[in-house]
Amino acid sequence: VLDKARRLANYLNVSTVFKALADPTRRQVLQLLRQGPLSAGELADHFPVSKPTMSAHFAVLRESGLVDSDKHGKTVMYRLKMSVLEEALMEFSGLLGLNLSQRKASK
Amino acid sequence: MILSRISVSIALGLVLLGTSAGLKYAQHVDLIEPDTAKRLVQVMIGLMLAGYANVMPKNLGTWPASPVAVARAQSALRVGGWSLTLAGFVYAGLWALAPLEFANLASMAIVATALFITMGYGARTLLACRATRIG
Repeated sequence: VLDKARRLANYLNVSTVFKALADPTRRQVLQLLRQGPLSAGELADHFPVSKPTMSAHFAVLRESGLVDSDKHGKTVMYRLKMSVLEEALMEFSGLLGLNLSQRKASK
Repeated sequence: MILSRISVSIALGLVLLGTSAGLKYAQHVDLIEPDTAKRLVQVMIGLMLAGYANVMPKNLGTWPASPVAVARAQSALRVGGWSLTLAGFVYAGLWALAPLEFANLASMAIVATALFITMGYGARTLLACRATRIG
């Protein structure tokens, strides 16, 4: 039953969305994109993390379908692509201070 | 993508028609009250509205040339998505719980208000984009 539920969740892209929203940095990226599109560099400037780490965050967000990217010359632009319920879920996980990635790393 | 969206819409339409027919039959054989059948169909309509409006901010289309246009389109879709989704849930909630006469009026008022907000904000965004292009 669990396997079937997991397969259904994957099909519906639910697990990737939860994974993306479980990290505070990724949630902050989504908050920044609420104001409008930003380039990868502009987004990275807001965080004290390395470029590869930031690229990994962007990859997770792209994979989950929460952001949309487009190449403009040498710049990669990002824009928000969240449904209403995904946005509500992001707010909810923000309120709870959810940080599953840190929890995983500390184990 | 378009084909899958159409198939989902057709499937949802069929579910709604099937449920309505089933409820009509249940009402005919005195399994349920006529009011219950009406309420259930209206709740389904409200949930469908919420479901469709939920994905509205995801339908961004192609990238416009200007970042300002992207931001404006995004905010218009978000305002529309949020107002119609909330209206759909309130519509379903009213038809599920409120007295019938009140639900009838209030649900229409809620959806009309949400549509007004969506279209008003959309028109305002469009005018702002045109003004920027002209200026």
